[in-house]
Amino acid sequence: MPTDTFTNEEIDINSLPKYEEISLKKPHSNYWKIICINLIITFLVIGITATLLIFFNEKTQPHALIIVGIYLVVTIVTVLLFYVSFKKRGYAIRTKDVIYKSGIIAESTTIVPLNRIQHIELNEGFFSRMFSLGSLQIFTAGGQTGHIHIAGIPINEAKSIRDLLLNKLELLETPEIETKLKVNE
Amino acid sequence: MNSDFSKPQRESAFGIIVMAAHTAFKIGKATFFLVIYAFVKMSAAYTAYVLLGVGVIILLCVVFSYLWYLNFTFFLDKEKQEFVVNKGILNRDQVIIQLDKIQQVNINQNILQKMIGVYGLKIDTAGTSGEEVSIKAIDEVSAYNLKEHLLRGKTAATEHANVLTDELPIIDEVPFLRVSTWTLFKVGLTSNYGQSLTVILVFFMYTVQEARHIMDIFGLDKGAVQSTVLGLATLFSVAVIVVIFLIVLLSINLIRTFYRYFQLEVSQHKNSLLLSSGLIAKKNTLINPTKVQITKHSQNYFQKKLNLLNISLKQAHFGESKKGKEMQGNTLEIVGCDTFERDELLKMILGQVPTLGKTFVPDWRFLNLPIFFKLILPVTIFMLVALNVPEVKPFLGFAAAYFIVGILMIYISYRRHRISVNQQFIIKKSGIWDISNEVIVPHKIQAITASQYPWHKSVDVGHLCLHTAAGQIHFKYGNYSEIKTLVNYWLYQVESGNKNWM
Repeated sequence: MPTDTFTNEEIDINSLPKYEEISLKKPHSNYWKIICINLIITFLVIGITATLLIFFNEKTQPHALIIVGIYLVVTIVTVLLFYVSFKKRGYAIRTKDVIYKSGIIAESTTIVPLNRIQHIELNEGFFSRMFSLGSLQIFTAGGQTGHIHIAGIPINEAKSIRDLLLNKLELLETPEIETKLKVNE
Repeated sequence: MNSDFSKPQRESAFGIIVMAAHTAFKIGKATFFLVIYAFVKMSAAYTAYVLLGVGVIILLCVVFSYLWYLNFTFFLDKEKQEFVVNKGILNRDQVIIQLDKIQQVNINQNILQKMIGVYGLKIDTAGTSGEEVSIKAIDEVSAYNLKEHLLRGKTAATEHANVLTDELPIIDEVPFLRVSTWTLFKVGLTSNYGQSLTVILVFFMYTVQEARHIMDIFGLDKGAVQSTVLGLATLFSVAVIVVIFLIVLLSINLIRTFYRYFQLEVSQHKNSLLLSSGLIAKKNTLINPTKVQITKHSQNYFQKKLNLLNISLKQAHFGESKKGKEMQGNTLEIVGCDTFERDELLKMILGQVPTLGKTFVPDWRFLNLPIFFKLILPVTIFMLVALNVPEVKPFLGFAAAYFIVGILMIYISYRRHRISVNQQFIIKKSGIWDISNEVIVPHKIQAITASQYPWHKSVDVGHLCLHTAAGQIHFKYGNYSEIKTLVNYWLYQVESGNKNWM
């Protein structure tokens, strides 16, 4: 860098944009229905298995009440935890980064700068499609933990976010995004 | 071999021998006990058949290697900046590696390659699949020449004229770090106890398991063996056994250290760092300093007194594991440097010696969870058991010792856990016995996570996690307002600059 154009001013750290003050968008309320459908299916399967077990296995029959009790408690706790975690979720796209907040007990906020995005995936599940929702995954080189998975975005919005991000990525012209290692099997 | 590698070419024909030996060795290793068993159990009449079988396997290895050799070609695509390898015996595979994705090039020599006078060359990339290219036989000049092309990336194409002068072997380079045998001896005595302990345990389990097979084969009387072992055990007192164990542990440590790091040298070679070491098989690794993601230096109490340091350079790994096992190639260890050499090395990798900036320390709540889950909970369970089972009662003293040592260790880890931030660097310090300092530069951050438990909201305590391509850096139980300020600052640094992290 030529010295005459080089400047190095002190930054006022307090005047930097604050991620924690951004108002986050919530996932679409229909997404809660999808979570419920998934939970119902899971617990139905477990419930049916347990019923069959109690019905056909005589040894377990004396414990039937305890098993039903545990089953109910686990179901209620799971639904509550999912509801809390659903309420905590939120996302925002800034010009330079993507913010995603989530958490079941702890509340964690992950921020991925746009110039570190490796690739983007838009998924539509079977139930999501019925409610025209989609989920967006944003991958970085930070491995499993460094990636963001935003579920329950209205599909049109998800598509426009994806296109927006892809456009920005192309503008940044970072060579990482378009090509990972190509391996021809 | 031509020197610019622009046309597809095969490796040295010696590769057939190396490959055949490699395959035969693998088969031999897998069927070792089977073969021994066959030799011992079968009557002499069948020995000929067994030998014939072994012969056929070796022949198959050679044929396989010959076919593999015929189909293995590689070349450099200058225009696209790619290294292309064609391989495969029945199916044709093509591996294309972009030059700027290459992290390190290993030039190795095992005993066989040493005898023939060829080198093996391996290319490590940061690829998702962890796919790597391995050339089994190449002569020294070509190996270093190819490495130069591979690591130089874009500049190689334009500066091609200079390449011929580079062909001089790297021996004239003066290494700026050379670890002497005496230093290595000290390193062996002071580090990696945990790893050596695992080695001993694994070896012990393996022996016990295989001992049964061997006893079966030779028809030994198990009872006799057992009584001999027990007799030996009672012959020595516990103290002697402990001393023997310690001696074994230390010698294994020494052997491992010498085997891996004998004549460890680090030198700067063009724009890459060359690390070479190894007792029997010399290993040369070339890395691009700018692709190092986390630089870590660590030291324990003994090493501090001896002025010894271990440095590890962590590079990007996307795929957590390669074929099920942990990827090791992506962390390079340099043992036994002193503080001066460490600073030289840091200068080479980071451009300057990182200085401590503003230091952040965790809140005392850091102690709560580990004390509860690692000490109070297990000790309580143990006490409950001890009160009900009289046989366990004499061991209550151990529980007390465990508790005290545990408290001490958790407290030390709390005192050591800190993060220091300035404009250029982030230094995370942690550890109980081995105190490590992990240094990263802000533009190597891939993503940042800040998290908080709801019950910590009122006391303003939270956690921070920096995701890099070579792993995460955690800072726990810090002041959450400060963490938020730091996050905003790092985001500004990453997003305002357009520095490449690779």
